[in-house]
Amino acid sequence: MAIEVRGLTKVFETGRRRARRRVEAVRDLTLSVADGERVAYIGPNGAGKSTSIKILTGILHPTRGDASVLGITPWVDRRRLAQRIGTLFGQRSLLWLELTPRQSYRMLAAIYGLDQEAEARRVAELGELLEATDLFDQPVRSLSLGQRMRCELTACLLHDPEVLFLDEPTIGLDLVAKQRFRELLVRLNEQQGTTIFLTSHDVADIEHVAERAVVINHGEVIYDDDVAVMRRALLTTKVVEVGLAGPLPAPTQPGVTVLEHTDQTMRLVVDTAVTPIRTVLDGLFVGPSVVDISVVDPPLEQVIAEIYELPAR
Amino acid sequence: MTRRALIEAIRGSAQRVLAEPGGLLVSLGFYTIIVGTLAGLWRVAAHANGGDLGGYSAVALTWYIVTSEAAIVSVNARLIEDIGRDIAHGTVAVELLRPASVLAVRVASEVGRGLPRVALLWTGGAVLATVVAGAPPRPATLLLAAPSLVLAIIANLLGQHAVAAAAFWLRDAGSAWFLYLKAVFITGGMIIPLELLPHGLERASRVLPFRAMAYAPARLAAGHAEPGLLVEQVVWIAVLALAAGAAFRAGERRLQVVGG
Repeated sequence: MAIEVRGLTKVFETGRRRARRRVEAVRDLTLSVADGERVAYIGPNGAGKSTSIKILTGILHPTRGDASVLGITPWVDRRRLAQRIGTLFGQRSLLWLELTPRQSYRMLAAIYGLDQEAEARRVAELGELLEATDLFDQPVRSLSLGQRMRCELTACLLHDPEVLFLDEPTIGLDLVAKQRFRELLVRLNEQQGTTIFLTSHDVADIEHVAERAVVINHGEVIYDDDVAVMRRALLTTKVVEVGLAGPLPAPTQPGVTVLEHTDQTMRLVVDTAVTPIRTVLDGLFVGPSVVDISVVDPPLEQVIAEIYELPAR
Repeated sequence: MTRRALIEAIRGSAQRVLAEPGGLLVSLGFYTIIVGTLAGLWRVAAHANGGDLGGYSAVALTWYIVTSEAAIVSVNARLIEDIGRDIAHGTVAVELLRPASVLAVRVASEVGRGLPRVALLWTGGAVLATVVAGAPPRPATLLLAAPSLVLAIIANLLGQHAVAAAAFWLRDAGSAWFLYLKAVFITGGMIIPLELLPHGLERASRVLPFRAMAYAPARLAAGHAEPGLLVEQVVWIAVLALAAGAAFRAGERRLQVVGG
C-alpha cells in the first residue's frame, strides 16, 4: 500500500483560556491507497483536506490515529519520507524566481542527495516527458504560469518520488494548460507508476486525472469509490435536451422539471427514481415535432455537490 | 543534509543576487552615503581630540566604519520580519517537506546573498577610505579582517534566526526585529567603536554576541592585529548556532503539533 490511514484525528485548540475552543479538523479518518493509484481527495472548504495532507506529508502531528506512507510514519520520520514523496502546492513555488529552473534543480538535487550525473540524467528525462527542456534555461520569472507549472512538476519529480501529493495543482492555469497538465499527470502515472493523491476544487481535474474519488467533509470520509461509479450510483437525474420543429406541449409526468421551453428547444430534468427516462421519451415521441433528442448526465459538479450533503459513512 | 547541499544553497543565492545588479548598486549607494557621513563625523571628532580617539586615529576610524558598515549592510536587515512572515504564512511549513534542515538551508542561502554584497561593499569602502583618509593603518590586518567579515555575517544571520524563531510562538516578531537591530547598532559596534561607549555599556557589550557581528572585523581592519577576535567570533557562532538550532527545532515541533 502506498498510503494507509487508520482512525486519524486532528484536534486544533484555538483561542486562550476561557475562549479556548477545540476544532476537530480531521475525525477518525480511515483510508488506504494502493501503489500506482490515482486518487482525488476532495471536499468543500474546511473539510479537513489540507490538514490530512499535512499529516500525511509529516508537517503535522495527529492527535490520535495511525498513518503510514510507503511504510513510514510521516510525523516520526519526516525527512526519510521526504526522500520518497513529491509535493506540489499550486500556490507555492518550489523554484527560485530569480534563477533558471536548471539552477533551481541543481540546488534541489543537492538537497535530495542526487549526484551530478543522476541530476543531469533525471532533468533530461523529465524535460522530455514533460516537454519542458527548452524552458529550463529561461529565468523562472519570464515563464508563463503554464510553463512554470511544468517546471515546478519537474522540480517535484526530480528525486523520482513514489507518491505525489498535489494540492490544487492547476489553480490559475488557462484551459489549455490545465488540460496539458492533467495529461502529464496521467502519463507519469502510466509510464512510471507514480501514485497520485490529488486535491482540487476543479471537477475536470478529478474527471480527467483520478480513477477513484475520496470525498471528505467535516473531517470524515463520506464517499469513497471509482469516479465512474460515483457518477452512475449517485445520478438519479438525467438532463433531456430536445430539438423541435414546432410547438410541443411540455411533459407533465411527476419528477419532470422543465428548464427551458420554446418552439425550437426544450430542456428537461428527469428524476429517474420517480419516472423512468423511457416513459418520458415515449411521451415526447408521440407528436411529429421532435427532430433531435439527447440524454446527458448532469455535470460532475452537481454530483459532487450532492455528495457533500451526504452523512458520514 | 550534505555539504554539497549547503554549498549549492550558498551558490544559488549568490547567483540570485548577481542576477540583479541593480539591487547591488542600490546597496552600494546606500552604503556609500552612510559610510561617507559617519566616517566624516569620526574624522572631525578625532582631529578635535588631537588626532586620536580611544586609541583610533582618524584613518583607523575611517577603516573601522567602512568595515563595520559593510558587515551589517551586507545582511538583510529585515530578516527577522521576513522569517516571521514565512512562518506565519506557511512557507516554513512547506520547507519542512524537504529532507533537509530548514535552518541550515536558510542560513546558507542568506550567506550566499551576503557574500557578493560584502565583497562589493567592502571593496567600494576600501577605495573610499583610501581616497578620503589614506591607506589602511596596517595593511596586513586586512588579511584577518576579510575572514572576520564572513564570520560576522554568519554570526549575524544565526542571531537573527534565533530571535526570529519567536514567530513560531508569537504572531508578530516585528518588535524583536527592532530591539535586535538597535543592539547590533550599539553593542555590536556598528556605528561606534566599543571602546568609545560609556563604561557600563562597553562592559556589557563584551559579554554579548553582537560584537562578533561588526566590531571584530572593524577593529581588525582598523589596524589591530588581534587574531583572538576571530576565535571569539567562532565561539559566538557555535553558541548562536546551538541557540538557533534549539529554537527552530522547538518551533518546528510546535508547528507540527498546533498546525501549519
